[in-house]
Amino acid sequence: MARRDIEVLFRTPWIIISRGLAFIIQLFVFATLISRLVSVSGFFQYYAVGSIISMVASISFIIGYDIFEEAEEGVLDYLLTLPVSRRQFIIGRALGGAIRALIYVTPMFAVVAIIEGFAQPASLAAAMAYLFLLAFGVTGLSITVAVSVRSANRFDVFLALMELAIVRASTALYPISFMPSYVASIAPFSPVSFASNGARSLLLGPGLDLSTLAGLLAFVVVFLGLGAAFYFRKLEGGVYA
Amino acid sequence: MDVLEVVKSNRTKKTFSVSRDCFYPTVSGVILCRTAAAKTVDSKTRSLTRRWAQAITFQGVGKRFGSLDAVKNFSLEVGDGEIMGLLGPNGAGKTTLMLMMGTVYRPTSGKITVQGYDVLEKPNSVRSIIGIAFQDPRFDGILNGYDVLDWHLKMTTSLGKEERKQRVEGILKALGLWEARGKRTWLMSGGMKKKIEDAKILAQRPKVAVFDEPTAFLDVPSRLLVWDMIRKLREEGSTVIVATNMMDEAERLSERVAIMNLGKLVTVGTLGQLKDTLKGGEVLEVTIGKDGPRLEDEVLTQFKEVHHVNQVDNKILVYLNFGRLMLPKIVEALTSQGYKVESIHLKEVALEDVFLTYTGQQFE
Repeated sequence: MARRDIEVLFRTPWIIISRGLAFIIQLFVFATLISRLVSVSGFFQYYAVGSIISMVASISFIIGYDIFEEAEEGVLDYLLTLPVSRRQFIIGRALGGAIRALIYVTPMFAVVAIIEGFAQPASLAAAMAYLFLLAFGVTGLSITVAVSVRSANRFDVFLALMELAIVRASTALYPISFMPSYVASIAPFSPVSFASNGARSLLLGPGLDLSTLAGLLAFVVVFLGLGAAFYFRKLEGGVYA
Repeated sequence: MDVLEVVKSNRTKKTFSVSRDCFYPTVSGVILCRTAAAKTVDSKTRSLTRRWAQAITFQGVGKRFGSLDAVKNFSLEVGDGEIMGLLGPNGAGKTTLMLMMGTVYRPTSGKITVQGYDVLEKPNSVRSIIGIAFQDPRFDGILNGYDVLDWHLKMTTSLGKEERKQRVEGILKALGLWEARGKRTWLMSGGMKKKIEDAKILAQRPKVAVFDEPTAFLDVPSRLLVWDMIRKLREEGSTVIVATNMMDEAERLSERVAIMNLGKLVTVGTLGQLKDTLKGGEVLEVTIGKDGPRLEDEVLTQFKEVHHVNQVDNKILVYLNFGRLMLPKIVEALTSQGYKVESIHLKEVALEDVFLTYTGQQFE
């Protein structure tokens, strides 16, 4: 099942290319411009790493749309008749969604690594692990929403707001000290903040930040568990009538 | 409608076509000839005597969605290697029943077993032996026809890459889709998509194959082709369930037909059995010589299978059951009374008549 989700990604290479181009433009136009406007030193580096993290989160949300569409179009019924246990099915979907997001951002991550000169293999590998954990958790969150909301319009709005909340209200793109107080109070608890702060700590120093790792792990456990439980209950209950 | 045609003859003249399959020589000299349709019926009647080992059992199965009972107290046994037609109008509960059998929905009540595996207790075992071709094609539109089939086989069989390639190529060629194998399925016509959906199960060759409206959207040659392929699938050892609301499909494919309506099983049997349950459902049209006396009804109503006789001039309409079996007796009764039988036509009951009788509904 995971391979299926990944293979579907490679059948739409223009999406990867267009997103990649958008990322390059964002980095070399927007980030460059903003870094000249603000007085924070090293903002370009900050933004470059954060934009990778926020992109992982955004792409990981896509699995929810896929699952919702499959249920609406009846493809889910077909998938459920295949000789795959429900547990394998759910784990496969979550894993597929996470790996797909990781594959998607790897070229962009490589661009940032080259530009910024991130050459420590251990740091790069640990940063990738952060990205994977974030992707896994967001996939779980996305699945939870996809199987909990029945109306298509409500689902679109809810998932878009959710994405906006955890990506925009995070420290991925802006330092917390510059945020309005109502955002600054919630931003530290966003999983995207955990991943951004953790990855920056690994790539830019000082090193592994256990508190961000713990926060991210908690997010993964809670939402992957919730997503799997909700999905399992829905599938076994035959609610997709 | 199946028509058993009786070509006339009398004691003196025996001029008739010999190109058809003739039988039932009688004392009157009347020769009865079967049309192709009648032969089909005859072969189905023979299956009455077959004894099936159970491949699929439904025992008091029910499925409730909120306040709607989609399937109610449904009980049926499908024999190993049988083609069972599941006939019913839209909304009868056929698809829900199939999805329960395919472990997608859990029955609210009752029990379903597939090759001995309970769908609730051994769902993975059931999934490993079943294949469902859905009414609406269900696959990723981004994939082309070849990849849809290859992926399906990868998931459902233990075939290696080369074997899968051969099987996919074979099925696509057989269905006339080989040239379009690289076309993304979302760009395909309704008929092409439907063929791909059927092809998944035809290529998989599962132990239990379920087809939901297998020839919807297909043109006539394609329908005949798919029916032929489904028959071959059965010959290779699959048990087949064909859900349909098309009379000709049920008649041509099925050995037995189960009629569903409003979530319930209305009746089940071979086509012959179902038709024979309609009292006086068949009509035997007999033309006798114009110079003879008017027929006394008792000559024919002496048979318990004859329900009513109506004579207009020299045409006699006999409403009866088991028409094909009664034909020689009726001809003999008439000729023994001195009537000269010039022609006989048997209009058999259509499946649609059976459905109308049992449900009071017309198919859409």
